[in-house]
Amino acid sequence: MTLKILAVAAAALALAGPAAACAHPKTSLSYLEGQIMCPTCHTTLDMSEAPAAQQIKAEISRRIAQCWSAKQIEDELIGNFGQGILAAPPHKGFDLLAWWLPIGGVLAGGALLAVGVWRWSRTRVSDTEPPPDLDPETDRQIDELLARMD
Amino acid sequence: MTRSLKLTGQALALVAVAGLLGLLVWRLTHQTHAPKIGGPAPNFTLRRIDGSGKLDLASLRGKPVVINFWASWCVPCKGEAKMLEQAWRQYRSQGVVFVGVDYHDVKSDARTFLTHHGITYPTVQDGSGMIGDRYGLTGVPETYFVDRNGRLVGTHIVGTITNQAKQFRSGIRAALHQ
Repeated sequence: MTLKILAVAAAALALAGPAAACAHPKTSLSYLEGQIMCPTCHTTLDMSEAPAAQQIKAEISRRIAQCWSAKQIEDELIGNFGQGILAAPPHKGFDLLAWWLPIGGVLAGGALLAVGVWRWSRTRVSDTEPPPDLDPETDRQIDELLARMD
Repeated sequence: MTRSLKLTGQALALVAVAGLLGLLVWRLTHQTHAPKIGGPAPNFTLRRIDGSGKLDLASLRGKPVVINFWASWCVPCKGEAKMLEQAWRQYRSQGVVFVGVDYHDVKSDARTFLTHHGITYPTVQDGSGMIGDRYGLTGVPETYFVDRNGRLVGTHIVGTITNQAKQFRSGIRAALHQ
């Protein structure tokens, strides 16, 4: 009797594994491979075949099979490896600077360029203004010179 | 108006250049250099993966310590695991403490590794690799020897101890007798 109960329990456990597998995964390995860094080679996982990268890919695959979301998987990896495991800094707190500083830099550069172009164009306009009239003496000398050339 | 705008622009440019220079100086003064033999072993307080809580290297002051950096994805580390455990069992009666530092590793895989290889000495997790960087690690496995005063002694072993058994024994002896 005990043996029968044990056999049924073992069969139930064996079936429980596949049944627990995720039917509708919430994320994919290919997506996360571009978001997560290989800690030993400092490239994203999709660019690396290093053993550490292979291990993290296997871990991600296991979590995807357990229906974990990308956020859950990323959080677990951050807990394990630190923030440096993310390919891009998070959009919150001090890390926001990493997103806004380049944008601010581009905007400031654009503004400086615009001011420079505006000032340059104004200078060019003044350059094209007609020169002041010659004084009568110079005018007369030029006329004489031209007459001699004829 | 134009003059004040120009002055503001120049002041902003100066501030930006000063900021960049400051960053450069900070980076240069905070660069990590590999510790020297005879110098203090970089301290660490890391989470244990063989149990709960943290392990502080400073708390082991007064005992010779062997620090072995390893990872479960590292094939050579598997080869030296048995010898490390044997050495720990051999020397612990003399007060030597072995500390495994699991470098850039997935915790669950590291625990499987410890169970599979029967490792019983304390092991901590250096997931971010920060402590490995402080020790100037070039890869895993690497092994360091720390004397009772917290100084690095002997020759630190790059690669497996199985290939460098003589240096390994002399490193432990140096930690014990200095």
